Amino acid sequence: MSVLDRVPTENGDLALLAGVCCVLIGGLFAVTPLRAQLPSALYVFVEVGILFVIYGLLVLGLDLQYGHTGLVNFGHVAFFAVGAYGTAMLSAQDTFAGIGLGYPWPLALGVGVVAAALVGLGVSATSIRLRGDFLAIVTLAAAEILHSIFVNFEGIFGGNVGILGVPRPIAALVSDADTRLVATLLVIGGITLVALAGITRITSAPYGRVLRAIRADELVTRSVGKSTVTYKTQAFVYGAALAGLAGGLFALYNGAVAPGFFTIQVTVTVWIGMLLGGAANHRAVLAGLAIIMGLRLISRFALDVTPVSSDVFASIRLIVVGLILVAVIRYRPAGIWGDAQELGVDR
Amino acid sequence: MGLLQNIIFGVITGSYIAIAAIGFTLIYGIVNMINFAYGEYLTLGAFIGFFAATTFPLPLPVAVLVAMAGGGVVSLVLARAFFTPINQTGPVPLLLTSIGLGIALRNAIRLVAGREARYYDTATTTFRFDSIPDLSVGSVDLLGGFFVTSEQLIVVGSAVTVFVAIHGLLTRTDVGIAMRAMGDDESLARVRGIDTQLIRDSVWVLAGILAGLSGVLLAIQTNVNATTGFSQILQILSAAILGGAGSPYGAILGAYLIGIVLALSTAFLPSGMSGLSSAIAFGILILVLLVKPSGIAGTEVREA
Repeated sequence: MSVLDRVPTENGDLALLAGVCCVLIGGLFAVTPLRAQLPSALYVFVEVGILFVIYGLLVLGLDLQYGHTGLVNFGHVAFFAVGAYGTAMLSAQDTFAGIGLGYPWPLALGVGVVAAALVGLGVSATSIRLRGDFLAIVTLAAAEILHSIFVNFEGIFGGNVGILGVPRPIAALVSDADTRLVATLLVIGGITLVALAGITRITSAPYGRVLRAIRADELVTRSVGKSTVTYKTQAFVYGAALAGLAGGLFALYNGAVAPGFFTIQVTVTVWIGMLLGGAANHRAVLAGLAIIMGLRLISRFALDVTPVSSDVFASIRLIVVGLILVAVIRYRPAGIWGDAQELGVDR
Repeated sequence: MGLLQNIIFGVITGSYIAIAAIGFTLIYGIVNMINFAYGEYLTLGAFIGFFAATTFPLPLPVAVLVAMAGGGVVSLVLARAFFTPINQTGPVPLLLTSIGLGIALRNAIRLVAGREARYYDTATTTFRFDSIPDLSVGSVDLLGGFFVTSEQLIVVGSAVTVFVAIHGLLTRTDVGIAMRAMGDDESLARVRGIDTQLIRDSVWVLAGILAGLSGVLLAIQTNVNATTGFSQILQILSAAILGGAGSPYGAILGAYLIGIVLALSTAFLPSGMSGLSSAIAFGILILVLLVKPSGIAGTEVREA
């Protein structure tokens, strides 16, 4: 029996295996003198790639909430921000403004995730019963409130400067820039793959079937004795915790957090990625996100060959993004790889 | 500044929010969608009015009428192009479409008009009332001298005119009565021979006209730039939901409530935290949805 025969064939297990391998290889870079060399043309790809795997965690959480359970959460960035700020404030040393407690980063990351989950619990406890479009408005408003709190309480959250001096575990172990980028991409990408495996496990279990039943018809699901509010709350909190993890990893990769990283633009990017790929299909939402984030690469390269300012280009990119959202909903409501029949959007 | 002056500021803010909130809530009640692109309608109205007033030079009152007409046309064209084809898909796809449309419009405006702010050129007279005695309770002065500008009086006056006109429209004209019927029950309205698509179109035009007016008033108070309207969308939305989504009268009440809360929290929050005033408005919104989800006057929005 060769090793190949033992490679799992299930999607979830394959993602788990790949994820663990990625983390291990990334760790290898960090602890051994092994060094990677990046051609300079690839830098931008790796940087966008790191952002992609972080946003990947966001889109997986959002897909659990919207794609599977039908919860229209339009304030996803709030949980991302809470995770990032929680991690940053607990671990930062000598921050310029705001609070930095200087605890070890694994503890800080854990607290960040728990904080995001608690905020998710708070939001869902108050508003999970609202109808879809009103839930969207409340979550959006909650995100705006959090954003203005982060900006306005300078003594605690550092205002517009944010929290600086967050430890960067990978940067601390690897001094050379090329290796650092590759190792970061591998480690965070690995974590995202492991999360993908976990989410796949949840949604392919009977538990996931209940979530999809709630999305399809909540009344019927309640009538067969499932406490839909409990299930909805759980799905919301899991999604929030995943977003918190993404935020914590972002803080530890970036070394600083500031309100400017956590605008409504993040929510919109993740939503469009999910709808474009096809909600309720984990690999599809990641692919959709990759397409949307790929547009950033295109605009960055196009910038070199066209005589327009980056400002103009940013506007054009956002016009395209907005129109993609409109077009997807109108012409392909299930997304590129989504199952129209299952999502109930077949017209 | 006394409490009285801040309440006046709140009433002025409430006035242009109220005009927009009526349009917003009519769309909600009759087309059954939350139109997140509505802020861009205000921006477009402000720009149309601005260019009418500067390039042609038209007098300001005429420019306002041009902005209102332009807003109505823009609203109908956008609705026909983007919202009418997916009318039957339900509220969430419509909301998402309006978010996408809003992003595209906002950036298209920025692309064409640039980032700089433009200012309406208006002649303003300030009326001062300094002789009013202070009435201090603790550290808060309840009365005190105050001032209003002619601009501000025009804003409040236009708002009152709009309220009367909308009330007349909804209670005295066939199209208004048909709108209310459709807001109550669309199928029943169709059974009674109401052309629902025509009514929907007229609601879009009406909402666009209101957005154009509100956009110009807002721009006279602040300035014209690509995010003039977008910066107000959450306040408009809060006002509409606070009043009970779908109810124009509730929207007026909600708008003044939001306006006064914004003004008072800007005045009485410690300096450096005045940015929190919008957070307080949304806090009220969330509180209302929790305690009385139907708003001040409106329908149930919870499912379970």
